[in-house]
Amino acid sequence: MLAAVLLDSALGEPRRAHPLVMFGKLAGTIEMRLHADRRLAGLGAWCLAVLPLVALTWWVLSMATWWLWWTCSVVALYLAIGHRSLGEHAQPVADALAAGDLDVARASVGRMVSRDTALLDASQVAAAATESVLENGSDAVFGALFWFALLGAPGAVLYRLANTLDAMWGYRTPRYERFGWAAARIDDVLNFVPARLTALSYAVLGHTACALRCWRRQAPQWDSPNAGPVMAAGAGALRVKLGGAAPYHGVWEARPELGEGAMPDAGSITRALRLVRHAVVLWLVLVILLAWIVGGGAHA
Amino acid sequence: MLEHGGRLRRAAQRFGIAAEQWLDLSTGISPFAWPAPSIPASAWHRLPEDDDELIDVARSYYGAPYLLPVAGSQAAIQALPELCAPSCVGILAPGYAEHAHAWQRAGHQVESRSAAVLFAQAKHYDVIVLIHPNNPAGDRFDVATLLQLHGELAARGGWLIVDEAFIDATPEHSLCMHSEREGLIVLRSVGKFFGLAGARAGFVCAVPSLLHALRERLGPWTLSGPSRHVLKLALADRAWHEQMRARLQACSKRLALLLSGHGLIPTAGCAFFQWCSNERAAAWHEALAARGILTRLFASPASLRFGLPGDDAAFDRLDNALGEITLARVRL
Repeated sequence: MLAAVLLDSALGEPRRAHPLVMFGKLAGTIEMRLHADRRLAGLGAWCLAVLPLVALTWWVLSMATWWLWWTCSVVALYLAIGHRSLGEHAQPVADALAAGDLDVARASVGRMVSRDTALLDASQVAAAATESVLENGSDAVFGALFWFALLGAPGAVLYRLANTLDAMWGYRTPRYERFGWAAARIDDVLNFVPARLTALSYAVLGHTACALRCWRRQAPQWDSPNAGPVMAAGAGALRVKLGGAAPYHGVWEARPELGEGAMPDAGSITRALRLVRHAVVLWLVLVILLAWIVGGGAHA
Repeated sequence: MLEHGGRLRRAAQRFGIAAEQWLDLSTGISPFAWPAPSIPASAWHRLPEDDDELIDVARSYYGAPYLLPVAGSQAAIQALPELCAPSCVGILAPGYAEHAHAWQRAGHQVESRSAAVLFAQAKHYDVIVLIHPNNPAGDRFDVATLLQLHGELAARGGWLIVDEAFIDATPEHSLCMHSEREGLIVLRSVGKFFGLAGARAGFVCAVPSLLHALRERLGPWTLSGPSRHVLKLALADRAWHEQMRARLQACSKRLALLLSGHGLIPTAGCAFFQWCSNERAAAWHEALAARGILTRLFASPASLRFGLPGDDAAFDRLDNALGEITLARVRL
């Protein structure tokens, strides 16, 4: 696990031919063939896309000698996490804001979130980037680490593929309301525990009392059951105000307020990145300790 | 003024990306422009003359017995409603919006309807305007069906107007060769197929009396000297036409395949573009624009139109951007 995290921080996500992009194409092809306005069709498509790859990972690992097993596990987890890419996307936003260049900041944040960035002021740009770092920290890093710790490489693969399908199909729109139902629910289930552990980590490593207070009061108002605790606890841990109305495709959508304290600025983004980084270290230390206590040590 | 594709400068400003760094897929104009030669000084210097060889070359290219060169089919779209007594006009929808706009402005009673409704209720209309193949919705019609519709309208003194701006890659579907029929008006454009949108040139194919009235309305010298010069050569370049038809078809097929692979399944398309009706069109549009790729967004129905990427590098760029959007888990 340590090796995969180090590999990610050294290399970042592969630019060309990322297996997840190829998976996205596979899923697109499956959707084209199997799309029907039924939940069962969506579940079938999900199984067809995810299960063979998870089984393949498991089968390869079960056949492998220990060093091959180790290498495959490291590579699989490395491909499942995107810790460094969080910084690569968010740091330019913080830098541009710190330099007072709002246009560049808007352009950079446009690659992270799907909002009308032209309508955002400096503090709203900072809020969008901070929210994205906190939420994607949970999705792109801790979810995969959790399932890897629990089930090994097949767990990390399962998690990341499910997460990708949720991003492709998990929408409440006429096309996906039923077809995407399975993808959205499975992702909710897989994220339930890791999202809460992420929220707890944010709380422990930031302003704990404030984070727990925000989690308790604000998370239930948020429309996503897993993003709620993560973002509320994260905002509280940083003592910054997030959430609130945001412009999506020409319409200002009302969203609940998150966090408390100051309005976000460039510093909030940097602090959110640091919070995620510290939480990764905390998780690694805990997993190594746990493995050592249990006596295996293999997963670490 | 209505919204159109190709507003690159505005997008550059809005998304903070320099204009020359964009991949502009927002129009249906072919990325493979006919290679225009340098313009002789006389074309700039002299007044254009109507009786140069352009008409003969155009007659042969379009297969139409009578035609009138105009400053882009847009000029005809705006003038035709003014040549017509107050009428009930049925216009294909969703489709190129300038038609409805022009007929409305001229005070006609305008109904924007699907092709199925227009064909089924042809009796109800004095004038029917079709875009063939439709932009962006891709509707196609066969020649016999169109001629039958024309027959019904013409019997009552009505008009069938067919805007064939995107038909050059499939000329066998064109009605140009039938345009000697009273009440049939075919609009052609050189912007899309020849990639000469900047020349602002097009042709109207119809009976001489109508062309005469239209010419009176538009005045003399509708095409500039340089445009006439370039068109004469482009319309005569048969080898280029043949080669380009195959190339556009192949390129469009490749685009459809690429989009499908990313879950953006084309609803329809033609040789010049692919059109995806998608509830998250606005979000795809924004996410692509954030990566310097400009597409054309339609609000109703929510949809995106992708013009053809011009080379392998452009295809790769679109492919990478769509992959990156999936990977970055931008909530679309």
